[in-house]
Amino acid sequence: MVVVLEAFTYILIIAILGLNALLSIYGIIYGRSLVKKLISLTILSDTVLVAVIFAGFYYAYPIVPPVYQDLAGTGREFLVKHASDPLPQALVLTGIVIGLAVNALIAFGIIQAYRLAKTTDARKVVETLSGVEVTE
Amino acid sequence: MLLFTATLIASFTATIILNPATPSELKELAKYYVLNTINETASPEAVTAIVWDYRGLDTIYETLVLYLAIVGGLAIFKMSEEALLKTRIGLTLLTKTSTKIIALLITSIAAAIAFHGHLSPGGGFPGGSAVAVASMIIIPVFAAGTLIEKGISSTKLVAIRGAALTALGLVALLPVVRGFEIVTNQKFYPASILGLPISGSLSLYNLLESLAVASGFTAVALYLSIPEEAYKGGSSA
Repeated sequence: MVVVLEAFTYILIIAILGLNALLSIYGIIYGRSLVKKLISLTILSDTVLVAVIFAGFYYAYPIVPPVYQDLAGTGREFLVKHASDPLPQALVLTGIVIGLAVNALIAFGIIQAYRLAKTTDARKVVETLSGVEVTE
Repeated sequence: MLLFTATLIASFTATIILNPATPSELKELAKYYVLNTINETASPEAVTAIVWDYRGLDTIYETLVLYLAIVGGLAIFKMSEEALLKTRIGLTLLTKTSTKIIALLITSIAAAIAFHGHLSPGGGFPGGSAVAVASMIIIPVFAAGTLIEKGISSTKLVAIRGAALTALGLVALLPVVRGFEIVTNQKFYPASILGLPISGSLSLYNLLESLAVASGFTAVALYLSIPEEAYKGGSSA
């Protein structure tokens, strides 16, 4: 029973991550407002980061952070069996901060577009800034 | 709701049909990192060891991406600070006093996160982001104009950021002088100074990176706090 439940949660997390990614891609493509596109983009990037964390996931109890309690390195055997995977954590740690900076850059761009075009609707922004009529 | 139910049912069927084997032990690469982090990097914290030692060059280029993104954002705005000086009225005295206490608490916790990053969970990136949180609650409460009057301008913040990044690059390049590879840690830097465990260059990287991230995001928050009226009055064509 426990094994079946473990497998179920494993597959459920994968399915929810996939659903989340699909919904956010839909939002990026079909959202009319640039702000909503940005929100969808942040949801997509967070989904990818969770997927990266999930790649280092394994069943163990208890799970401890991959940190030694002293500088001599005691508890090495325990840590190998119970530590969470440090590599995805390291990748996600930098990924979050870089994502924040890139989102800030996009937000600056959206604010500038709003100031020039007085709207955040993607089509109207293009129409105002380029003068070309956008067809469906 | 419908989508969620469909996902639930689909994963339930997939479990019964496929019955996958769930992972039950650490991957080989992760085992290597966990076992060798103390010997090879003098840091008991495997995540910081990966970020600044095993994949140090990668992280330095990511810092470069961060720098370019923020500088690009500030370059789009190109605001004069006279427009910011118009916003001098903050919130009430009650809010200001409580914000002072909270900001002090956040900053001290952020310093602990950043400077103990090589010994406990944390490091330069989370520490710097926490300082940025403190500045983001200070800016609306005290108003951006007051901060600029006190001498915290975005030019100075970008200068701090540039200095911290230059120092970070020097820390990375210094081992080349003695003939080691770039971003060498333990062969060049000492594991401890005066009995204080500093894990070679890891603590230096954490310190400089937290400075860079904190000043960069504070500059972004300062620019984003400009009200629309000030912009229209400042440079409407």
